[in-house]
Amino acid sequence: MLQATKLTKSYGEIEALKGLDMTVEGGDIYCLLGANGAGKTTTISLFLNFIRPDGGTATVCGLDVTEQPLETKKLLAYIPEQVMLYGNLTALENLRYFSQLGGHDYSQEEYRDFLRRVGLEEEAVDRRVKTYSKGMRQKVGVAIALAKQARALLLDEPTAGLDPKASNEFSELLLKLKSDGAAILMATHDLFRAKETGTRIGIMKEGRLVDELSTGEVSHADVEKIYLQHMHAGGHYAQEGAGSA
Amino acid sequence: MIASIARKEFSEIVRDGRFKWTAGIMALLLLTALAAGYQKYNAHMAMQSLAQDQTNYQWLNQGDKNPHSGAHYGNYAFKPAGPLAFFDNGISNYAGTALFMEAHKQNFAIGRPATDQSSIGRFGDLSGAMILQLLMPLLIIFLGFTAFSGERESGTLRQVLSMGVSNRQLLWGKALGIGTAVLLVVGACVLIGGLALSLTGLHAEGESLGLRVTLMTASYLLYAAIFLFLTLAVSAWAKNARTALMVMVGFWAFVGFLAPKAAGEISRIVHPTPAFGQWMADMRGHQMRGIDGVPPFVRFEQESRAIFAEYGAETIAELPVYVGALRLQKFEEYDFPVFDEHYGRLRDSYINQRRLQDRLGVVAPTLPLRSLSMALAGTDLIRHIDFADAAETYRRDMVTRINAYLGEAAASLNTAGGVLVSDQEVFGIVPPFEFRSQGLGATLDEHGGNLIALVLWLLASLGLALWAVRRLRVEED
Repeated sequence: MLQATKLTKSYGEIEALKGLDMTVEGGDIYCLLGANGAGKTTTISLFLNFIRPDGGTATVCGLDVTEQPLETKKLLAYIPEQVMLYGNLTALENLRYFSQLGGHDYSQEEYRDFLRRVGLEEEAVDRRVKTYSKGMRQKVGVAIALAKQARALLLDEPTAGLDPKASNEFSELLLKLKSDGAAILMATHDLFRAKETGTRIGIMKEGRLVDELSTGEVSHADVEKIYLQHMHAGGHYAQEGAGSA
Repeated sequence: MIASIARKEFSEIVRDGRFKWTAGIMALLLLTALAAGYQKYNAHMAMQSLAQDQTNYQWLNQGDKNPHSGAHYGNYAFKPAGPLAFFDNGISNYAGTALFMEAHKQNFAIGRPATDQSSIGRFGDLSGAMILQLLMPLLIIFLGFTAFSGERESGTLRQVLSMGVSNRQLLWGKALGIGTAVLLVVGACVLIGGLALSLTGLHAEGESLGLRVTLMTASYLLYAAIFLFLTLAVSAWAKNARTALMVMVGFWAFVGFLAPKAAGEISRIVHPTPAFGQWMADMRGHQMRGIDGVPPFVRFEQESRAIFAEYGAETIAELPVYVGALRLQKFEEYDFPVFDEHYGRLRDSYINQRRLQDRLGVVAPTLPLRSLSMALAGTDLIRHIDFADAAETYRRDMVTRINAYLGEAAASLNTAGGVLVSDQEVFGIVPPFEFRSQGLGATLDEHGGNLIALVLWLLASLGLALWAVRRLRVEED
């Protein structure tokens, strides 16, 4: 459903992405691991058509994101590391605004229901979000993604800075979305949760996808070991074929 | 979609502290300016009508005297305020409001205390028009500069653009939301002002008041829309909100202060106003020399035979009318084309200056708006010329009537000599001065170009905004 084919992107001299090939099918939770600057966020930005690729294509449900940017965005939901909202609007107003931008409209009750499902306290729903903690803002971000009823989700370290309970609730939601058939691409640093929640793991290094694992076939310890092997390996050409556990 | 964007934009603006302060100050200034303008207008109109009655009374009660002395005694024409002078005082403060009309001389309008009777008049030029021309753009800039740049800085733009909304829809929605907020403030004040006025009324019979108000409103709406779309364009183009604010405030200072000053200077260099002393000396000299080089005394001698023949007379003794009155009238008539030429030259320099300033409107929309606004208010140069023309026409009619009377009544003096003293009732042959403006038609002919300039400015700013949002991106490539 999400497909990258020979995707490349440079910022001046720096090659951020060097021919990425990857596919995320419906029902997959694909976790992208890698150090900062490995190209995870660049990949997500390319799928959102925030930046233009220098080569290759990114497609959503078969549609090229550069050719049909609005259509593909309607199929996507995006949760950034820091969900940014309008401080002077309430959670409900934020959710309603973003939903309307995405072409959806629900009743007042349905909006409240979305916010309830992501675990936002009832009393917070009608409060202006400038008083919100990061965790609460992330929840509103998830509600926005839910309400969009997207076929594919792009998540950029969505649980960074969340307390364990909130992180756990978030994983529960992801599993529910997965069982509904959504394709989920998530950039993360959380190896444990990647193994727990993810169906597949991709390890990126210096703009390349250096390894792909199915979480069903490896243990927690394996994931960590393989990841660290890649990180410690020298120049990127040295890793070809490495860690094919 | 556009409605939801507009609604969000509007709620955000009105909940922001920025709005409460700027809107409050704006409303206070605007209402004060309208009230002060109205008070000034009313005081002027009351004074004008009083002074006109007074001068008419004085004319009729100047005592028994020689009618020509009566023509020297003269009469004043007082200029009524323009139909919307309470809103835009235009050039009234500089053009003068009282014009002395006497035998032999065409005069300038001079200022009169009637214009600054009210104590609140100390506010000077703080008019509704000035507030809307200078402060309304600032309000629009303050409410709009963060429209895109602020969202880019706070990071909400990333999420907004991930939703699959088109940039163009964002532009329309934001324009509608911000526009509504601005209209809420300005429109409310204008409505309050309008309601207050409709209770007290204006002296504007036959001035197409409805059409004036409609065109005035349209002009200011165009002007506001120009700033709205320019602000949105710059907000979408700028890297951050600070840059957007600086660019727009710079533009505002340029079009609001620098451009009008510069346009004034440039227009005076290109179409210089004659130096007053020189101009006056030229005109006096021209009168002495006569319009076509024959001095009036010589010309009258040359023409006297023909003039006498009109009355079937060959000598003064045979004339059925007083020769002194004939001479007075002829001398007046010899001066008419001289006045027309020299006053015309002066006016042409003013009119050409104004037209050039209008044309410089391509660099600042404030110029065509200012010109249009005072024209619609009836406080512009055209209106003043209109008034001065009416006074001069009246003056010429006055001396012609007096001379005609003198000619008839003093015929016996041709042989007997002496001076005629008439009963003061005679001055009733001159009807009182009453100013009727040429109406809106002439104004529109003169200012159609300014309306077009505003429309072109709007199209340009719209184009710029559409261009800026098309290249709007979350990140630099």
